[in-house]
Amino acid sequence: MELQKKLEILSAAAKYDVSCSSSGSNRKNTKGGLGNATSCGICHSWADDGRCISLLKILFSNYCVYDCAYCVNRSSNDVPRAAFTPQEVADLTINFYRRNYIEGLFLSSAVTKNANHTMELLYESIRLLREEYKFNGYIHVKAIPGADLALIEATGKLVDRMSVNIELPSEKGLKLLAPQKEKQAILKPMNFISSKIAEKKDEIKVFKKAPLFVPGGQSTQLIVGATKDHDMNILKLSENLYKKYNLKRVYYSAYVPVSKNPLLPDLKTPPLLREHRLYQADWLLRFYGFSADELLDERNPDFDPQLDPKANWAVNNISLFPVEVNRADYEMLLRVPGIGVRSAKKIIMARKVKSLCFEDLKKLGVVLKRARFFITCKGKYFFNYNMEQLLIRQNLINGWETDEKKQEWEQISILSLIPEKPTLQDKLMSITGEI
Amino acid sequence: MVNYYYDGTFDGLLTSVYESYYGIEPPDKILRCKNLQQSILDKDIDIVTDSEKASKVYEAIHKKISYDALRNVYHAYLSELDEIDTYIYQYLRFGFKKGKSVDLYLTSEEVLKVHSAAKKVRTESHLMLGLLRFRKLNGGLYYAPYSPVYNITALISDHFVRRLSDQFWIIHDTKRNLAAVYNMVECVLTDLPEELQHQSLNTDDCFEDLWKKYFDSICIKDRINPKLQKRNMPARYWKYLVEKQ
Ligand code: SF4
Repeated sequence: MELQKKLEILSAAAKYDVSCSSSGSNRKNTKGGLGNATSCGICHSWADDGRCISLLKILFSNYCVYDCAYCVNRSSNDVPRAAFTPQEVADLTINFYRRNYIEGLFLSSAVTKNANHTMELLYESIRLLREEYKFNGYIHVKAIPGADLALIEATGKLVDRMSVNIELPSEKGLKLLAPQKEKQAILKPMNFISSKIAEKKDEIKVFKKAPLFVPGGQSTQLIVGATKDHDMNILKLSENLYKKYNLKRVYYSAYVPVSKNPLLPDLKTPPLLREHRLYQADWLLRFYGFSADELLDERNPDFDPQLDPKANWAVNNISLFPVEVNRADYEMLLRVPGIGVRSAKKIIMARKVKSLCFEDLKKLGVVLKRARFFITCKGKYFFNYNMEQLLIRQNLINGWETDEKKQEWEQISILSLIPEKPTLQDKLMSITGEI
Repeated sequence: MVNYYYDGTFDGLLTSVYESYYGIEPPDKILRCKNLQQSILDKDIDIVTDSEKASKVYEAIHKKISYDALRNVYHAYLSELDEIDTYIYQYLRFGFKKGKSVDLYLTSEEVLKVHSAAKKVRTESHLMLGLLRFRKLNGGLYYAPYSPVYNITALISDHFVRRLSDQFWIIHDTKRNLAAVYNMVECVLTDLPEELQHQSLNTDDCFEDLWKKYFDSICIKDRINPKLQKRNMPARYWKYLVEKQ
């Protein structure tokens, strides 16, 4: 088969994996070598669906022995199949890289023959790149559940990031939609990778030159909307993954209907708004000091489609407001709807030399549309009357949505905009997870 | 009104700052090129670039204000925005009074203007690290033409020296006709000779086709969103993007 055809099939088969990030690693170039990794990550293009393209994202092969109901590559599905050779993967990566199309490679695979066989092929492709081609760009590889841990370890020594996709947020969902897979088979390699990463971190403290192991960390992906799980279950799972397995990122992928299987929900379009809310909440967990319990509970197990999670939390906890902008600490400022990491930092800086009024906040670029309900400046409210909880809620919903010309949330994939750390690309923040 | 005119180089700008303290008269404005509708009340002073004076100012900014201020000033200068030189001048005057806390005065106009210009330059630089495309010419040279809004060639070339250290390449700002040329040993900033400027770019590079294929097939057709695509990747940059040809 022609290389072009293979690329077409095996990139199309990989496109539902949403992770694209190239950040978190700062592997240096070597003498006579090619490439490096930058810890802030770089996007190289944006596809027609608006998602960022940073890595050459391909499957090694889409011949699969499994039959997971939600997946295009399931064995019972009638789709064109193909497999690369390690040499072809290396060639594509190197040549795309030299032209500055990509930051590196994201290599995954369907399970061909068995887990070990597949993992060996992934390992060989990466070994070729690192050792023969002296390639030092970013590599993210999927660890295949069920493969030998020794093989996973050897691969981990060569790559920047590794991930095992959980896909279905509950064991129940797994039993129903991917009965050949077991929870343990997924969690075992995750556990192994996270303990190896921790081990290496300790080693590096002692020996500066200790070999790297997955320096960019571990990530995973959860499918949203293929099972009956509530947002609360999903968010709690993420919280646990961040805490217990020290994951760098959890990605959420709105389920794209790829099958008419009666076990799957009959969706017309992928639940993008729900995906968006989860990203916002995830962001709150990682950078804003929120816990899952604060955002959702048994009575409200799903996010409000009309209000973002932070605004929702603030309205429900209105007794904590207003906060005085000139005195509130950083953590509290971050909890004000409309004030993000960047705005909070600016406020902290600017108030060192001047006591701030609403005009000053505008100059700093703080968006007051939502924040004004929750803050005072030098003791003064933005409005001169007291607002009721319900009224604020209405104002947030109506004011916000109409003012911003109804940003067609259903169509926006926020994922592509979210940088790993809330630093660079400041100007994008207002429309990303920073809320 | 007193106007200073300098030659457009960074040294020239710093010399202007020097003269404002030690020269005849401090300026109201600092400008790069003669503006044509000046009033008869204006007094124009031409600044002669002096690298010694410039480096004194450079050192002074670093020591008396901060390294960040120096960065901000350089990046703002590269923005080439209208009036930016005057704001840079005011920012530095303010900075020499306040020391390194100058960057906390986020509500003062001169600080705001310099910060925002510098940020624009940094944002575009970061974007270009990804969007720059090298075409492989038949001789094996990698050639990257682009046309950035701001003058960022000097800022981005370092990244490629580290990254693409084992290939010959040229990054060419076609708008300013400025190029960074790398020969696997060092990288220099230079004007490009006439004949190179109009080289035809008819390469028959199969990897360009493969890249286009990849670009198409990676997109999820149920989620087509041209608005989001344009917001992330403004159309003004598409001209040199292989995948958008
Ligand atoms: S094992 Fe992976 S590729 Fe194969 S059907 Fe299941 S999800 Fe799809």
